[in-house]
Amino acid sequence: MSLINENKDFGVIAELIPNNASVIDVGCNDGSLLEYLREYKNIDGRGMEIDQKKVQLCLAKGISVIEGDADTDLYDYPDKLFDYSILTYTLQATKSPKTVMQQLVRISKKAIISFPNFGHWKIGASLLLNRKMPVSKKLSYSWHETPNLHFCTINDFIDLCEELEIKIEKKGDLSNKKLSNFSGKNFLDSYFNEVGLFLVSKD
Amino acid sequence: MSENKIVTLAEDEPLNLDGGGSLSKFKTAYTTYGKLNDKKNNSILVCHALTGDQYVASDHPITKKNGWWSMVVGPDKPIDTNKFFVICPNVIGGCMGSTGPKEINPENGKEFATDFPVITIADMVRAQKLLIDYLGIEKIFCVTGGSMGGMLVLEWLSKFPEMVHSAVPIATATNHSAQNIALNELARQSIMADPNWQSGNYYHSDKKPMKGLSVARMAAHISYLSKEALQSKFGRNLQDKNSLDYSFDADFQIESYLRHQGFTFVDRFDANSYLYITRAMDYFDVSSSNNGSLIEAFKNTQSKILCVSFTSDWLYPTSENKKIVKVFNSLGLNVSFIEIETENGHDSFLLDEPKFFEAIKGFVNSTFENL
Repeated sequence: MSLINENKDFGVIAELIPNNASVIDVGCNDGSLLEYLREYKNIDGRGMEIDQKKVQLCLAKGISVIEGDADTDLYDYPDKLFDYSILTYTLQATKSPKTVMQQLVRISKKAIISFPNFGHWKIGASLLLNRKMPVSKKLSYSWHETPNLHFCTINDFIDLCEELEIKIEKKGDLSNKKLSNFSGKNFLDSYFNEVGLFLVSKD
Repeated sequence: MSENKIVTLAEDEPLNLDGGGSLSKFKTAYTTYGKLNDKKNNSILVCHALTGDQYVASDHPITKKNGWWSMVVGPDKPIDTNKFFVICPNVIGGCMGSTGPKEINPENGKEFATDFPVITIADMVRAQKLLIDYLGIEKIFCVTGGSMGGMLVLEWLSKFPEMVHSAVPIATATNHSAQNIALNELARQSIMADPNWQSGNYYHSDKKPMKGLSVARMAAHISYLSKEALQSKFGRNLQDKNSLDYSFDADFQIESYLRHQGFTFVDRFDANSYLYITRAMDYFDVSSSNNGSLIEAFKNTQSKILCVSFTSDWLYPTSENKKIVKVFNSLGLNVSFIEIETENGHDSFLLDEPKFFEAIKGFVNSTFENL
């Protein structure tokens, strides 16, 4: 998906990850993010990807990748195997975002999760004014063909973390390429961040 | 193209076998393609399947057909012999020149026949290791193979982890299921039920167990194909006729096809070898020397691994291959997995499957670049 293909977003994620960390990117696409992190952070990376064409692209880049499904195949990893797990722009396309999040914080010490914020003011305005499901550069599918099953807002995500006793450590603002410590729900984030990006963990 | 070479191994010390007993001064027939580089880090060991042999990429001396993996191994092929030094040995117990039941027992000057010791997959790997030592290779760049070849790959990863930089086990399993054993038992019984088998002592007889071996091959061949592939290839089509004969001749194309598979096979394969190698596959359990723990079996493995399965393979299905992936994941190994969508069944790894070729090529080339 288009959002995370720009290297500048990779930069924000890379800032969250220390050198030489072990990382699994769930829904790793063509492996570009892992390749970026390998180059700039010398990570030991693994990918999981459901689309075989993209799995082939990962293999050709020398990235270890499992053709698999975030909903069913994360169970195969032991607890805290990785330092970091990454789930970019995939949460909304999983069958059970709740169990996927639980698995992510189980298999890794920290998880980086990003998703389109359905609470963004433009989406609200589009629904309010046009009475149509929003389609934009970042939400590029029509309602009848979208792979996205579970849209949520930044506030929904924060509530779910609370319910699952997952600790939110940091939040990211991708449009300003900024990371900051998390200190609870925030009016500005929920209205004006097109993407929610969080660093979370659970002991 | 490579010439067949034969080397005598275990000249100083015998090769001790899992089942007790040993083999000394045994022969291994093998082929090589490409050149070993100065660093000796570009070797790829290809392990053949049950009825395969060392003719991986050169014409078979008996059938005159292309090598069994000539689509994968060769100049500019997915395993590019311009770049890699490919080694393919015939397993011990085989019948294409390596020591096996049809070869002469140096102790008494007669064919081994059923005096040949029962061997295991691990024994085959120990024998291959002696060949690799003989070739002066300390670390193999990649070990690969499908079906039984995949079992050999797993055994290499378990027994000699420090000698394997990377590995591609294809359409295989960590052990044989009851169904796998049952199919092999059917094959063995059909060989031994042939009166021409003569308790294995048929080498000097005019009568050879061709019917038994042929039926064994027919049964096995069904297991290599998927129901969909059989249906789309043959359906209920009749063979060179417009109506049923109301006889037991080959009315249907599938019957004729299987008979052909059976009787061409007996020209190139030894019935006793079939017994020994299927037995080795049935006995195979890579965890057996580690108290049944797969985690223990692979605890010293550090290799980069690509596992491959095929959607329509019911003999070594994706679920069995995923078990292997799961173990490697549990150990935090550098493992990749891809399931190729095809209707060609277990035989897919021997057929023209471009996505499979692309996966192998991508894996070996990128792994080699990152050496």
